[in-house]
Amino acid sequence: TTADVEDEAAATTAKSAEDRKAAAALSKLDARGDDDEAATNVDQEAVKNAMSALSSGGAGGAAAAGAAKKEVKNVKVDAGDVKLLVDELELSKPKATELLKAHDGDAVKALKAYLQPAF
Amino acid sequence: MDIRLLRASDIPLIQHANLENLPENYFLKYYLYHALSWPQLSYVAVDVSRPPKTPYDYPKIVGYVLAKMEEEPADGVQHGHITSLSVMRTHRRLGIAEKLMRQSPELAMVETFGAHYVSLHVRVSNKAAIHLYRDTLGFKTEKTESKYYADGEDAYCMRLDLGFLREQIREAEEEEKEKKTTTEGN
Amino acid sequence: EQLAIILRTEMGIENIVRARTWDVYKRGLKAAEQILKKNPKHADTISMKALILNAQGKTEEAFALAKEALTIDMKSYICWHVYGILYRTNKNFDEAIKAYKFALKLEPDSHQIQRDLAVLQVQMRDYPGYVQSRFNMLKARPQLRQNWTALAIAYHLEGNLQQAENILTTYEKSITSTPLRTDLEHSEALLYKNTIIAEQGDIQRALEHLDTDCKNCLDRLAVMELRARYLAELDRKEEAVKAYRALLDRNPEFSDYYKGLVAALGIPNGDEDALGAVYAEYAAKYPRSDAAKRLPLDFLSGERFRTAAKAYLTLMFDKGVPSTFANLKHLYSDSFKKETLPALAEEYLREHDASDAEPQGNGDSSKGKGAALYFLAQHYNYYLSRDLAKATEFVEKAIELDPKNVDFHMTKARIFKHQGDLAKAAEQMDHARSLDTRDRYINSKAAKYQLRNNENEKALATMGLFTRAETPGGPLADLTDMQCIWFLTEDGEAWQRRGNVGLALKRYHTIFNIFDIWQEDQFDFHSFSLRKGQIRAYIDLIRWEDRLREHPFYSRAALSAVNLYLQMYDKPKGGANGVDGSQANGEDAAERKKAAKKARKEAQKAEREAAEKAAKQDPNKAQKGKDGEEAKKKDDDPNGAKLAATTDPLGDAMKFLGHLLQFSPKNIEAQIAGFEVFIRRKKYLLALRCLKAALALNKEHPKILDQVARLRQEVGGVLDSLAPKVKEVIEAELAAVPGA
Repeated sequence: TTADVEDEAAATTAKSAEDRKAAAALSKLDARGDDDEAATNVDQEAVKNAMSALSSGGAGGAAAAGAAKKEVKNVKVDAGDVKLLVDELELSKPKATELLKAHDGDAVKALKAYLQPAF
Repeated sequence: MDIRLLRASDIPLIQHANLENLPENYFLKYYLYHALSWPQLSYVAVDVSRPPKTPYDYPKIVGYVLAKMEEEPADGVQHGHITSLSVMRTHRRLGIAEKLMRQSPELAMVETFGAHYVSLHVRVSNKAAIHLYRDTLGFKTEKTESKYYADGEDAYCMRLDLGFLREQIREAEEEEKEKKTTTEGN
Repeated sequence: EQLAIILRTEMGIENIVRARTWDVYKRGLKAAEQILKKNPKHADTISMKALILNAQGKTEEAFALAKEALTIDMKSYICWHVYGILYRTNKNFDEAIKAYKFALKLEPDSHQIQRDLAVLQVQMRDYPGYVQSRFNMLKARPQLRQNWTALAIAYHLEGNLQQAENILTTYEKSITSTPLRTDLEHSEALLYKNTIIAEQGDIQRALEHLDTDCKNCLDRLAVMELRARYLAELDRKEEAVKAYRALLDRNPEFSDYYKGLVAALGIPNGDEDALGAVYAEYAAKYPRSDAAKRLPLDFLSGERFRTAAKAYLTLMFDKGVPSTFANLKHLYSDSFKKETLPALAEEYLREHDASDAEPQGNGDSSKGKGAALYFLAQHYNYYLSRDLAKATEFVEKAIELDPKNVDFHMTKARIFKHQGDLAKAAEQMDHARSLDTRDRYINSKAAKYQLRNNENEKALATMGLFTRAETPGGPLADLTDMQCIWFLTEDGEAWQRRGNVGLALKRYHTIFNIFDIWQEDQFDFHSFSLRKGQIRAYIDLIRWEDRLREHPFYSRAALSAVNLYLQMYDKPKGGANGVDGSQANGEDAAERKKAAKKARKEAQKAEREAAEKAAKQDPNKAQKGKDGEEAKKKDDDPNGAKLAATTDPLGDAMKFLGHLLQFSPKNIEAQIAGFEVFIRRKKYLLALRCLKAALALNKEHPKILDQVARLRQEVGGVLDSLAPKVKEVIEAELAAVPGA
């Protein structure tokens, strides 16, 4: 028939047996399998070339790319101002320094900027 | 309601729905385990019509199906399993459970993971659910597991052979191929 | 000697970290003791012993030993590695990273230390560090695909999309044999790359890549959805129409697909006929689709709406769908629709009465007439159309028709709640529960209403009917284990109303801790997802975890906690045992203390009884897990007495407030509460910051003017004692605040 289906809270799931399965699955999450996995179908030569390209071209590849992106302005900041921001705004020291630098080391500007709604 | 794929951000409210509806509950991490192992298999029914109360509202989950593939199938046959399925009492009779089941095991399980069949457990007293699985979706009862549930109730082990879907998909693919070769031939 | 070798190897560390049985610990400890007997100054062995003790929960002892080991041998990478692990398991991640880095300096080739460091870096969102670590790991093992994918992920998360794509492409080029079509890892890597291309904004290239490289990907739905989206964005309308139609054929219950189709068809917003025709086509093609029939109610108006709504309501009432009202009430922002829907329900009732001379065929009175009565009861109970007398009238009629209907009784309870009679509401909801004792949904609702009526003990007993029997500690322990936030929140708020500060704080802190667990939960997935190859899902997880605490589950509990701490600060009277008077009324303190004590006893009794009862019912009780049970730490403050005895309520409030302001800055109640905390702490700039945020959100908020005035007055009195720069900023900013 085409009568409508009564989908009552169609409870599957399980206790004991299923529960044990859940526990087993969760305990296996941090298993470490990647060591024993062998390389299968990669061209070793190509990989080597790619790696060296990465190392030189990317220039330390990783580090350089990261550093390039976050170009922090080389601004001198006053230690007293950092302390002021740490105390008044309850920021961590690195965060306070960052905020000051972003405002050319001007504490008043930095404080004002921090007060503005960020949304 | 929308019926759509589960997202990680849905999980707290899926867990909430599960706690509200069913006696068998799980840690949030177990839902994550499903969502990150077989992200194609779990679906939710969400109420998207309610106006948000805060800028941080999450869509209300009114039903969900949490599904997985059996990692080490005892019979050596690739198959899926329905871990949990429920629909809020307030949202019954819309066919939500059936619609969730049509998306998950009947499509994604076969397409993405090559499942041959899907299995599940259901309380022997849950007539509505049994009716859905057996009469509407075509599941067959394999056996009864005695005292499967915490309160001592038995469970039916049911399974649905997905061979017919594999066949359909293969046919569709071949049709596609033929179409291509004929157009290319022209 | 052999034991020493086993213990010292990296596998030793690995095994202990992963071991979850006391057997392994016991054997390990025994071996360590034997070695130390011969050589008590053996630093690595002392470290291993520390690791085992840590795993057994003896944290302090473990740290002392680990430090001792380091003083003996500063140059041992094992000692540093263990030190890092101790910090990591005790959640001091910054120190853990430092220790790992030391260990790695001493042993640069240790794969394991590098991996531990990498996982911690991504957990801490130190993306530049993570990029560096994954780069090193790739260099060590470039033959593993996972290492390439991982570096791409690191770049992606860092925001360097182009480099991420390059890495994936480089690996693809080095593959010699064509991967099998069933290779899921390969299929997912291709789709991951596709999303990175699209994220760079190059939709054209993303589409080409999808059509060539991804055409055989195993995640068919993803390919179809991405394709439709790209075509729509590229304005290739005809193809987009086809793509959305294909999606609708797969799933005609997803409103996004209809929206995509309508947009691709280029139908203008107001063209109700054309829009209606699209949905009508799918309603005919998929008669069981709810969306195709319901969604047009959103855009239709006037007579068109009336006709469509009538057909829809008739269908829903005939079927007896209980959510009919819930699914339509969003239309009430339109006054015509708000008038029309109840009128149609009345019309349905009249027609039904006329044709209903003979009894209903199916005997199910929640269908037909019952469903329409139920709809009207909810209509008059809804805040935009409230008339509680009428609501009562309709719900009573419905109940008369079917006295055993759970839904009807549930709505009756809601009506009592809106009348302000919480006791009657709770009683009524419990009656509804008694009509279907096997349904946990109604059970949960009954417990919730009991909590709203401040009946914590009763509510817990109600919950205990469904919680797992074998959990030691009874229903509350089970609900806590299972992270049942709604119950913890309502329970805490009820205790707060009853003046039991201790238990209220206890619940809020429990919720705070659950969020910590949820954040920690992602830890294993940093490597797990690489093994599974489901990278898109992993990225989805990371993005969500980044904003985890914006969830209303968190903000509600956090706000309650902050406000409670504020009350404690303002009225610091002798709240022994956390029985502080948090209500401002004149009730006698001793009286309240007595009541709270009694309440606590009752709670304990109810819990005990529920646990006992449950234990009796449980057939599997005997096979309780041996492992791990004993490892569970005993709660040394189950009633929150220590929390309530705090001497620094404002400091404690900060724990909740910090996350609240960081993750839910647009929550005006959070800003209001933040102001109250900061002004008491004399952090005027931070108070002003909250005030400015609140003003930006809603300058009409009833508390704002009062806060402005208070800040002016306070600051005015101390202006000259402030640091000159602070003074300058405050004066300038306050002048710009309204009410000056």
